[in-house]
Amino acid sequence: MNGALALTIALPLLGAFLLPVLMRVSVAFGVWIGPAILAYGCWILGDLWLTGSMQPFSVALGGFAPPLGINLYADTLALLFALAAQLLGLIFWPFKLDQDSARRQALMLLLVAASTGLALSGDLFNLYVFYELTAVATFGLVAASGTSAAYAATIRYLILSGIGSVLTLFGIALIYGQTGTLNLAHLAQLAPEQLSNELGLAAFLSLLIGIGVKAELFPVNTWVPEVYATASSRLSAFLAGLVSKLALLIILRLLLLVFHQPEAAQVILILGILGVVSGELAAWRAKEMRRMLAFSSIGQLGVLFIAMALPDGQGMLAVLALALHHLVIKSGLFMLADGWGGALQRLRGSAAASPLAAGLFVLFSLSLVGMPPLPGFWAKFTLITELAGQTEPLYLMGLTVFLLATVVEAAYLFRVAAIIYQSAPQERRPDEIPKAGGLSLATAGLFGAGLIATTLLIAPVGDRLQTIAAQAQDVDLYINTVFPATPGASQ
Amino acid sequence: MTLTLLDELLLFSGATLLVALFIGRGLAAGWMVTILYGGQLLTLLKMAALGYGGGIIASSLSFTVMGQNLSWRFDALSWFFALITLGSALLSSWFACGAWERSYAKQGGNIWLFHLAMALNVLSMLILLASGDLLSLFIGWELVSWAGFLLMALAGGVATQAAMRYITYAMAGGMAIFGGLALVYSSSGSLQLDAVLIAVESMSTTKLWLLVILFGGGFGVKMGLLPFHLWQAPAYAETPGPGSAFLGAISSRMGLFAILLVLVKLFGIVNIDSLKIPFTLIDARDLLAWIAVFTIIFPTFTAMKQNDARHLLAWHGIGQGGYMLLGVVVADAMGGAGGLLHVFNHATYQAALFMAVTAVIHRTGTADLNKLGGLVVRMPLSFMVLLIGIIGLAGLPPMNGFVSKWLVYRSLLNEGMPLLFLAAVIGTLGTILSVYKLIHNIFLGQLRVEHEQVKEAPWSMMAPMLILAAIIFITGLFPGIPLAWVASVQEVVGLPATDYTLGGVESVSGSLDMIWVIGVLFAGFGIGAVIFYSAGRSKRVHQLDNYAGGHFLSADVRYQYSDNFYAGLMHLVGGWYRGSFLWLEKSVISLIDFLSLVMQGLYRRANAEFYLLSTALFVMAWVVI
Amino acid sequence: MAPLELLLELTLMPLVAFLVGMMMVLMMRRIAARIQRRVGPPLFQPLYDIVKLHSKQTQVSHGLIHDIGIVMAMGGYIAAETLLPVPGMNGIAEKGGIITLLYLMMIPSLGLALGVGQCANPNGSIGIARALTAMLAYDIPLVIVIFGVAYAAGTTNLVDIIAQQQAGGFATWGAVQMPLLAVAGLIAMHASLGKQPFEIYIAPAEIATGPMVEMSGKHLGGLFVMQCFQLYTISVLYVSLFLGGGSTWFDFLLKSFLVLAIPASIAYLFPRYRTEDLLRLMWKWPVMLGLIGVAFVL
Repeated sequence: MNGALALTIALPLLGAFLLPVLMRVSVAFGVWIGPAILAYGCWILGDLWLTGSMQPFSVALGGFAPPLGINLYADTLALLFALAAQLLGLIFWPFKLDQDSARRQALMLLLVAASTGLALSGDLFNLYVFYELTAVATFGLVAASGTSAAYAATIRYLILSGIGSVLTLFGIALIYGQTGTLNLAHLAQLAPEQLSNELGLAAFLSLLIGIGVKAELFPVNTWVPEVYATASSRLSAFLAGLVSKLALLIILRLLLLVFHQPEAAQVILILGILGVVSGELAAWRAKEMRRMLAFSSIGQLGVLFIAMALPDGQGMLAVLALALHHLVIKSGLFMLADGWGGALQRLRGSAAASPLAAGLFVLFSLSLVGMPPLPGFWAKFTLITELAGQTEPLYLMGLTVFLLATVVEAAYLFRVAAIIYQSAPQERRPDEIPKAGGLSLATAGLFGAGLIATTLLIAPVGDRLQTIAAQAQDVDLYINTVFPATPGASQ
Repeated sequence: MTLTLLDELLLFSGATLLVALFIGRGLAAGWMVTILYGGQLLTLLKMAALGYGGGIIASSLSFTVMGQNLSWRFDALSWFFALITLGSALLSSWFACGAWERSYAKQGGNIWLFHLAMALNVLSMLILLASGDLLSLFIGWELVSWAGFLLMALAGGVATQAAMRYITYAMAGGMAIFGGLALVYSSSGSLQLDAVLIAVESMSTTKLWLLVILFGGGFGVKMGLLPFHLWQAPAYAETPGPGSAFLGAISSRMGLFAILLVLVKLFGIVNIDSLKIPFTLIDARDLLAWIAVFTIIFPTFTAMKQNDARHLLAWHGIGQGGYMLLGVVVADAMGGAGGLLHVFNHATYQAALFMAVTAVIHRTGTADLNKLGGLVVRMPLSFMVLLIGIIGLAGLPPMNGFVSKWLVYRSLLNEGMPLLFLAAVIGTLGTILSVYKLIHNIFLGQLRVEHEQVKEAPWSMMAPMLILAAIIFITGLFPGIPLAWVASVQEVVGLPATDYTLGGVESVSGSLDMIWVIGVLFAGFGIGAVIFYSAGRSKRVHQLDNYAGGHFLSADVRYQYSDNFYAGLMHLVGGWYRGSFLWLEKSVISLIDFLSLVMQGLYRRANAEFYLLSTALFVMAWVVI
Repeated sequence: MAPLELLLELTLMPLVAFLVGMMMVLMMRRIAARIQRRVGPPLFQPLYDIVKLHSKQTQVSHGLIHDIGIVMAMGGYIAAETLLPVPGMNGIAEKGGIITLLYLMMIPSLGLALGVGQCANPNGSIGIARALTAMLAYDIPLVIVIFGVAYAAGTTNLVDIIAQQQAGGFATWGAVQMPLLAVAGLIAMHASLGKQPFEIYIAPAEIATGPMVEMSGKHLGGLFVMQCFQLYTISVLYVSLFLGGGSTWFDFLLKSFLVLAIPASIAYLFPRYRTEDLLRLMWKWPVMLGLIGVAFVL
C-alpha cells in the first residue's frame, strides 16, 4: 500500500498530460477523468491515514535508496497536507465546460500533482521541481481567466516567482556545494557540522526568500492582492488556502531538520511581524471583498511565520493548527467572495438576499478573529501561550503585534458584516443585489460545516494535532525512517 | 450522572435559547421566553444558600482541550451577579411582551431576533459567571461580548454603527485579556485559579504591573472605565428599549465581576497596593481609584448635556460604574459592600429608568428631551417610576441608591481620602442636576398639544416597572436583604465582610438605619401634608393660566424651558471638556487609516522585484556582517 | 431609650425647630430693616404670614405634583430636624449621621423642584436650574468641610462630634481646632441660605422670583415654613460642627442666632452675583480654604 503513495503524484501528472487528448476524443469521458483521479488519490491517502499505524514511512522512488535515490517521506503531517491537496483539488475542480476547460482542468491536475509532491517530497531538489511545477500551473490558471488585469497580475507574479526560483536554486546550490547531498534526512544528519555556519545561513535565507514568494512572506508577497483579486475565486481559494501553506511547510521542514541557527528564526520572526502589520493594516482600507481577503491572508501568513519562528519547533502545534484553520476559513471566505465581487458598499442588503451566505461569513469571521469556542480561538491560544513563554523581547513584540492586528482584523471584517446586514438602498432593484449562491455557496457551506464539526469535536481534534506536531518535531524519527540502517536505530 | 443545580440552570438557559430560536416567531413567543426566564430565576433561587455564604456548586460539565482543563461552578459572587442578570432579564423580557412587541414589529423590527439576542446574552452571561478557571472566564467573556454585539446591532442604522464601535473596543479589551492570560500561563503553567493564586505570590513587580494593566484595561473596557468609555452610551442607548434596560442594568457589570475575580480575588488588593508608580506617591490601587472617580465625574457631566433621554441614562450608567469600582478598590468592609451593593441597586433603578423612558417613547414616539414635557398628567404611573428611579440614581434617601453611595462615602471618610470623597460627591451632585433635567423635560413643564391624548403605558409594560420601583424602595428601606448577599460575596473574594443589620450597617464610627430614617422622613411628609391640606381647598387651574409677564398664553405658544438647561453652569464648565477623548479616539483611527494607506501603497507598487532583490541583498549583507 | 420618650423627642425636635426658625426669620428681617433704616416687622409677623397664607380664600394649584412638592419640601426638613441633636435631645441622630442629614436636606430641594416643574412656567424652571447649579456650587466646599470635621472626629455621628467638642471647653471647639474649615463652612453656609448676594435663583428682576413665580396661598405658606426650618437647620448644623453645639438651651440658641446674624448682616450690603460667578467664587476661595484645612486635619 505504501508504494501507492507515488501514484497520488504520478496519476494526476499523467492525467494532466493526457487530458487534452482525451477531451478531444470524448468530452463526456474526459470530463470525469480529473475528478476520478483526484478521488482515487484521496482514497489512497485516506486509506493510508486510517490503516497506517501512524508511524512515518519513506518510499524510495525507482528502487534507489536515499540519499542516492529520490524518496517520498510520509509522516502524518505530510499525509495530512497531501490529502488536503487532493481533497481541495476535488472541491475546487473547475467544472465549468467551455472551449478552455481541457486546458484548465489539465492545469488543475498539474497543480494538485505538484502540491502533493511538495507535501510528500523528501528531497530538496525534488521539492524545487514541484515548486516550479506549481508556479507554472498557477500562471496558466490565473491567466486563464482572460481579463487584462489578470494578465498584468500574472506577469507580475511570473517575474517575482522567476526571481524567487533563481534564489531558491542559488540556495540549493550553496547547500549542495557544502554538503554534497540534497536529501533532507541526509542533510539533517550533516547539518550540525557543515551547515551551522554563515554559509548555511545564507543558503537558508535565499531559500526562505525564494520559497517565501509562494508563502506570501513579506516583502516578496506584492503579487498577492492583484492575483487574488483577478483570478477566479476557486483558484484564489486554492492558492491562499493550500499552496501558501505548502510553501510554508517546506520552510518549516528546513528549519526543523537542517537550519538551527537562532538568526534564521529571528529573520522569520521579523518578516512575520512585518507581514502581519502590513497585511492587516492594508486590509483595513480595502474597498473590495477579495482584495481585503488577500491582504488578510498576508496577515495570517505573517502570524504563521511568527509561530514558526519559535525556537526548537515549539511552535509546531500552533503552526499546524493555525495553518489548517486558515486553510478552511480562507477557502470558505473566498468561495463566498465569488458572488460578492465589486465594491464593498454594493453589498448592502445581501444578507436578506442570501441569508445562509451572510451567516457563513459571520461564522468564518468570528473564527478568524478567534472567538471561543470556535477552532480559531484554540489555534490562537496555542500560539500566544508559546509566545508569552519566551523571554526574548522580540517574541513579546510579536505577541503584541498579533493581538493588536486581531483588533484591526475584527474591525474590518465586521464592518463588512455590518454592510451585508444593512437593508438594501431603496433605489436598487432586488435583482441588482449581489447574491451568493450555487456551487460556491455549497462549497462554502461544506467548509462551514467542517468548522462547526471541529468546534464540537475540538478535544479529540486537538489531541490528534498534538500527536501530529510531536511526530513532525522529532528530527531523529525523520532520519531513522529514511535511513533504517543507521546505527542505533531499530526498525 | 446526576445533574447539579448549576447544570439545571445552564440547561434551562440553553432551552430558553432554543425556544427563542425555533419557536420565537410564534405568537406568544415573548411570553414563553419570559416564563422560561422566570424558571431560570427559580432554579437560581434554589441555590440561594450560595448567597448566604454556602460554599460552591460545581457543574458536571468539564472539558480538557489541548491540555487545558475547563470547568464551571457557582459561588456567592457568581450567584449575586446571576441573580441580577436573571432578574433584569425576566423583567426586561416581560416588559417587551405584548404592546411593545407589537409596536416594535409594526415599525419593522425583528422581534424574533430580539428575543434570541436576549436569550443568548443571558446564557453567555451565566456561562461567564460560572467560569471556574481563567480560560473558561475568557471564553465566557468573549461570548458575552459578541452576544452583546448582536443585541446592540439589531436595530440597524445608528445602532449598528454604535455596535461596531463597541465591538472594536471590546475586541481590543478582549485581546488585552488574552495577552494577560498568556502571560499568566507562562508563569503558572496552568490557568486553574489555585495555580494562578500561587504563581502570583512569586511574580516580579514588572509582570504584575503588566498584568494589572492588561486585565484592568481589558475588563475596564466593558465597564466603560475612562478612557475606554466612549462606545458605551450610544451602544446602550440605541438598543431597542427593553434591550437597553437589560444591558444598562447588568451588561457592563460583567467587567466588574471579572475585576473582582481576577484583580481582587486572584491578585489581591494587597499585591496591587504594593505596585508603586515610580517618582510619584501613588500606586496601582490609587491609580484605579482615580480612574474610578474620573469615570464618575466626566460621564456624569456629559450626561447633563445630552438631549436624548436614553443617551442621558446611558451616560449615567457609565458614571455609576465608577462608584462600584471605587468602593471595591477602597476595599475596606464598607467600601467593598458599597461597591457591590451598588451593582444591585444600579441594576434596579437603571432598568426602571430605561423602561420608563421606553414607555414614554412607546406612547409619544420620541425620547428627545426638547420635544416632550408635561406628561405627568397623562402618564402618572410612569412618572412615579421615573421619579423613584432618579431618586435612586441620584443617591438620595429613601431609595436604595443612597445606601450604597453612603457606604462608599463612609469608606472614603474612614480611610481619609478627601479628594476621592469630594470627587464622589461631585458626581452625585452632577447626577442630581442631570436627572432633574430628565424628569422635568419629560414629565414636568408644559404639556404639548400633540400629547394631549396620550395614554398611560399599557399594563404589560407598567407591571415590571412597578415591580422594579417596589424593589428600589424596599431595598432602600431594608438594605440588609441585599447586604447579606454582598457580605457573602465579600468573603468569597477575600475582602473584609461588613457588619450589616436589616436597616443598614452597624459601626462605631457612625451607623445607618434606613428603617428609622425612612420612617421619620415619611412621618415628616405626613406632618407636611397635614399642614398643607389643613388649609382651604385649592382650585385646579389650566397650565396656560400662568404668569407670562402680562401676555396671554395660548395652546400654540411653547412655554417651556428645556434646551441648554443649565446654561449658567455650562457657561463656566462647558469649556473645560471639549471632547478630548473623542479627539483621542479619532486620532487613533486616523493613525491606523494613514498606516493603512502607506501599506496599501507598498503593495500597489509595480516594481515588486525591486523589493525582492533589495531584501535578498539586505539579508545577505546582514549574514556576511 | 423608652419608645415613648423617643416619640416625644421626635415630636418636640421639629416643633422647636419651627419656633426657633420663625424667630430666625424675624431676626433676618429685623437686621435687614435696620440696615435699610426701617423699623422692621413685629414679633409675631412670621406666624401671621404663615396663617394668612394658609387661610387665603383663593387657593390655586397646578396639579397634584405641585401640592406634593410643597409637602415634600416641608416634610424633608421636618425629618431632617430629628437627625440634628439639640440640648438634651438626640432624636435618631445616632441612626443616621451627618452624611444622611446632608442628603436628607436635599429632599426639600427636590420636592420644591418637582412642584415648580409642574407649574409649567419657564421662569420657575429657570429658577430651579439656577438653584440646583447653586447647590452644586456651595455643596462642594460644604462636603470638604464636613469631610474634615468628620475625619478629625473619627465619626459621622453628630452626637459624638458635639460631645468631643464639649469635652475640653472652648479649646476643643471645631472653630478653634480647625479655623480654616470654619471659615470655609461659613461661606458655604451663607451661599446655601440663598440670600444676597447669592440669590441667583430668586432674581426677581430677571426671572420673576423664579421658583416662587406660580406660588401663592398655602403653597407659598408651605415655602415659608420650609424657610424657617432651613434657617434653623443650617445654623444649628454649623453650631454643632464648629461651635461645640449647645450644652444648655441658652447657650445653644445664642450661638445659633449669632451664627445666622453674620450672613444676615453681610447679605443686604451686596448686589447679586451671576450664576457662573457664584460657581467661580465658591469653587475658588472656600474650596481652597477647605482643602488646606483638611490637609491640616489629615
